[in-house]
Amino acid sequence: MIRTELKRGTAELAILSVLECGPLHGYEIGRRIEEQSDGALHFTLAALYPLLYRMEHRGWLKAEWETGTNGKRRRCYQLTAKGKKGLAPLRAEWADLFRALRRVAKVSHA
Amino acid sequence: MHDWHAYVREQSPELDDRVVQELAGHLEDVYSDLRASGLTQAEAIRRAERRVGGWLELRRGIQAARQEEAMQERVKQFWLPSLVTLVLGWGILTILICAGVQPFMTRPGRADGLYVYWPWVLALPFVGALGAYLSRRAEMRGWKVYVAGAFPVVAIAVVFLLILPWSFIADHQVVPALKLSGFAAGMVSWVLLPGIALCLGIALQGMRRFHSTNV
Repeated sequence: MIRTELKRGTAELAILSVLECGPLHGYEIGRRIEEQSDGALHFTLAALYPLLYRMEHRGWLKAEWETGTNGKRRRCYQLTAKGKKGLAPLRAEWADLFRALRRVAKVSHA
Repeated sequence: MHDWHAYVREQSPELDDRVVQELAGHLEDVYSDLRASGLTQAEAIRRAERRVGGWLELRRGIQAARQEEAMQERVKQFWLPSLVTLVLGWGILTILICAGVQPFMTRPGRADGLYVYWPWVLALPFVGALGAYLSRRAEMRGWKVYVAGAFPVVAIAVVFLLILPWSFIADHQVVPALKLSGFAAGMVSWVLLPGIALCLGIALQGMRRFHSTNV
């Protein structure tokens, strides 16, 4: 349970953080997270989409169908005001957790 | 070009079209990138399919997210307003009784007379309006707003409807005609009149909302 919650928490933080720069569709969200984490964080569709739907319902994200320059329709997610507001305390919580882990486990990079 | 839409639909026939379209679009993008990186068509398809991470897990995840949504919606739209109106509606009556307010009675001492606490009935439109406001604020529309707003009388109507058949079975002392007239008087006193008052509040709240939306 703790493991699941922990994974969900990190994934939520990652999604909110990449969306801070602007709206993205599901594939692009996963790709950016993978790129920015040097491949350490990797999302399968089974992990990504249930989470996106949950966050959308909670009002953190808003999704709209958009047609790209290549003519393909993609559902783009963007942060809502509630999501933006929720990001700062979430970041602070994780920063506290990493600091605590560093102290306890003597991990230099948590 | 691989038909990702057909592939997703085949793997998960129960998913709705919007989700199928979204997942197919995702897989199409994965596939295009893999092809652009120089992989053969067969290898790109194989790797793209691996990105799903398990159809069963995906279906369960989406279903769980949807159920969570539906449950939260029901609580916000229906159960919370219903609880508020129930507690407030019967709470006001309890306070009035404790304060010594006497009911209006058409046939004092008889079971088949009307029994009405007018201050309570007059307060009920506000209770109904509050319930309707909470329900409509959570995007509930239609008859369910009325059920949530009028929940105090819905609950008591259910109790009455359960008591009546039971009284015919268990109690042979009172003649059926008197039971029926007592039941009818009870329904008017505790369900019909308060129900009208609650529904009036719900309707007025709806009109006010409609008016302010138009303005």
